[in-house]
Amino acid sequence: METLMVDRVQSSLRLFMHRNAIFLCERLCAEFPSELNLQLLATCYLQNNQAYCAYQILKGTKMPQSRYLFAVSCFQMNLLHEAETALCPANEPNAEVPNGAAGHYLLGLIYRYTGRRAYATDHFTQALAIDPVLWAAYEELCVLGAVEEENEYFSDAVAQRIQQQQLSESNIHNSSISSEFYSLTSNIAVSGDSIPRQSKQPLANNTREISTLSQSVAIAKVQATHSGASSLSQYNTPPAASQLSGVAPPPLCRNGQVFFNVANNDASIKSNNVAVQAPRRKFMDEGKLRKVSGRLFSDSVPRRSTRLSAETSAVANSNAQQGTGNGNNHSSAKFLGGFSSSSSSKANAASSRSLTFKKGHSWIAESFDEARRPEIFDDSRSENMATSSSIPMSGDGGCLEQGKVTGDLVHDSRLMSGAQDLLGLLRILAEGYRLLCLYRCQEALEVYLKLSEKQYNTGWVLSQVGRAQFELVDYLEADRFFDLARRVSPCILEGMDIYSTVLYHLKEEMKLSYLAQELISVDRLSPQAWCALGNCYSLQKDHETALKNFQRAVHLDSRFVYAHTLCGHEYVALEDFDNGIKCYQSALQVDDRHYNSWYGLGVVYLRQEKFEFAEHHLQRAYNINPRSSVLMCYVGMALNSLKRNHDALEILEQAISADKQNPLPVYQKANVLVSLERYDEALQELEQLTETAPHESSVYALMGKIYKRLELHEKAMFCFGLALDLKPPAADVATIKAAMEKLYLPDEMEDTP
Amino acid sequence: MATESDGEEEVSEAAGKLMGSPQLAVEDDLREMAKKAAWSVSSCKPGNGVLSLRDDNLDTYWQSDGAQPHLVNIQFQKKVKLQLVVIYVDFKLDESYTPSKISIRAGDGFHNLKEIKTVELVKPVGWVHISLSGNDPRETFIHTFMLQIAVLSNHLNGRDTHIRQVKIYGPRPNPVPLQPFHFTSQEFVTYSILR
Repeated sequence: METLMVDRVQSSLRLFMHRNAIFLCERLCAEFPSELNLQLLATCYLQNNQAYCAYQILKGTKMPQSRYLFAVSCFQMNLLHEAETALCPANEPNAEVPNGAAGHYLLGLIYRYTGRRAYATDHFTQALAIDPVLWAAYEELCVLGAVEEENEYFSDAVAQRIQQQQLSESNIHNSSISSEFYSLTSNIAVSGDSIPRQSKQPLANNTREISTLSQSVAIAKVQATHSGASSLSQYNTPPAASQLSGVAPPPLCRNGQVFFNVANNDASIKSNNVAVQAPRRKFMDEGKLRKVSGRLFSDSVPRRSTRLSAETSAVANSNAQQGTGNGNNHSSAKFLGGFSSSSSSKANAASSRSLTFKKGHSWIAESFDEARRPEIFDDSRSENMATSSSIPMSGDGGCLEQGKVTGDLVHDSRLMSGAQDLLGLLRILAEGYRLLCLYRCQEALEVYLKLSEKQYNTGWVLSQVGRAQFELVDYLEADRFFDLARRVSPCILEGMDIYSTVLYHLKEEMKLSYLAQELISVDRLSPQAWCALGNCYSLQKDHETALKNFQRAVHLDSRFVYAHTLCGHEYVALEDFDNGIKCYQSALQVDDRHYNSWYGLGVVYLRQEKFEFAEHHLQRAYNINPRSSVLMCYVGMALNSLKRNHDALEILEQAISADKQNPLPVYQKANVLVSLERYDEALQELEQLTETAPHESSVYALMGKIYKRLELHEKAMFCFGLALDLKPPAADVATIKAAMEKLYLPDEMEDTP
Repeated sequence: MATESDGEEEVSEAAGKLMGSPQLAVEDDLREMAKKAAWSVSSCKPGNGVLSLRDDNLDTYWQSDGAQPHLVNIQFQKKVKLQLVVIYVDFKLDESYTPSKISIRAGDGFHNLKEIKTVELVKPVGWVHISLSGNDPRETFIHTFMLQIAVLSNHLNGRDTHIRQVKIYGPRPNPVPLQPFHFTSQEFVTYSILR
């Protein structure tokens, strides 16, 4: 009965019948209380977004998988310290982090959000070492600014390493049990994995094809009623907050017999024939936590679905019932390399199963769950693995070695090249993302252009390109790219907050309100939608409503940096500087490389005339993004107000050469020259500006002011007249007219505040 | 809530008699200043106090309870530029409580208030815009610490007065700090701030 229930629960999970799964699982736990069943129940709760329930039931559990699930629940409930202790118990400093790469990734996130950057970086690096394709960890590293130079994370050496790791997994095999080889080539989408029933874990099926799969993997056959369908749950596009996918449960050895035959023909690959170990042996592969932006692998989705349909049909054919007593029962554990795409579900043990890349550890050695052993033998299921094309998996029993081996040899080289292809793709994306995080936008754009057309025309990439254009202050191009991104991927949320800011700068009220409405209809609970709406109100100068919207975005996701920054901007517009400062500081707590918040703080201090503070904060912003001519201009302004005029001139020169299209550094330079009383040079600069920005009233106004100082009254009058013609706001009109009246008086023109 | 809509303001400028318009028509380059001010009134009936002047609710009103002139005092922490005062009164509802003659005074404090404007209202219904500017463009704004709105007399010789809402407007500050002039052209504005 127990196994039957476990089976039904897992299939319900895979088919998203959460209520059914939870109900059955609760009955299961009541009837057969065991930690494994608890883990299954926790997984059901997490899948159903009930992290608090999972938290309750897993409190105090000790098994690694339980601790991992517990940590995930804590993370979702924002109980970061508890999550940390679960993953890294204080009294066991050398304990292994559960679930390898996934655990390290989660731990990294915890450290990041509790402000311990060094540890976070460390764990993300470890996660990548274990699982080189864990893009999410790489992303976090870039955001933390920990990836300075060209790196080796996705190099060819890694491809070799992946393959060697896979081949070096030791396998247990029983001579009496046939092994099935499961080869995957880059073209074959890997079907779902086997999940050992005994583990009572939701099985992870997700796989990703290709490359990283070792060509020969003996698969312990396990009855898998769930085909890759459960992996579909992983494919939801994750919202901006990072979500963790679940972890693969350990594959079960059936009758302790799991074996892997590794056949290899490459010289570089050593062949392993691992003798079957003691029957009771079981192993687990590490669940791999992969969160990969769904868009990254958007083109993989169709393949997966074909694979899944192939798989389900294969599974349907396979008998997978309580095995017959003969030695035909095998448990096959399928090792699938690669990564699951877009795992958005909460820790779900049923999610992707991927290869572990722990160096030097044999598969066998990694048994995580000792308690599982006794249960191996109860189960006798067999699973058929279906592959979409070349190698059909035969269903039950029999030694299929012979047939498989030859197939393996053929796919060996294809796997290697597959690994290299994948890593090549990731390498480009990684490089582009890294450059973008360092705000070297021009280079990032060039790197992204190296992508193949089908990868380039995906929502994620286009949104990144849009962001790069935004950072280059090229708002028209940014608009274009973000628009493209939305057309390619209509439900895209990532980067839409930046898009709304672009439209704000371009003063496109219609487009902005349309965008905001669309985003809200896509996902009312996403912070980006509310940021867009807030920008809309802000454009109409209704700062109070804008503030409310930004605060709502903050409530929805307090880890979304930009919402905090925008709140700060609105407070400043309302002249509530104290609250503005608080908001900027909370933004910096989430991500201290968010230069917009440093800039915001600098501006506040400029207004409050605390020039030293202003200069410090603007300098920090500039250090993070040294290519922004706007930032350089502001630093120049701050230096000017501190009377460090020569430094100001220096940086303004830099700004002028950095971006020819930006007229402001020239204007500021003129201002500085005026305060240095170098009037002629100032006038020269301003003359230039009248060419490049002919409709700018302030240029003429400033020229008039200078002429007045130089007592060239006619010219002053002329300039003031021009300035007035260009329709400045009423405040300036008053100032200018006052200046005109006083022209012939010896008084100095008063500086308007 | 400053709206862009053009109200139909029937103003007979010559006599300075204002009749009020149903809509609040304020230019975009003005913003409400009164949030940063301390408001007080010379007298009020319990339940109809100074809060009703600022609650954005046209159904609640301030009712005075003393001798004329009835005063609304608005004090700022620093000298501000003000351009426009708008009050909401309704003759149809308030009849003899509706103010008819209003004087606006400004100064540093109670001791040196000087009258800057007087207006007469004739059966006003809606928002009455009282501009503080002089004729000269240089006098678009008044710089002051304090503003006082004095109701000198009411319609039908009523003793006490009802005012339903008061708003004060001044120019917007320059979004770019430390600049002597606002930026007008698109090129300058685009590069002038980060968000």
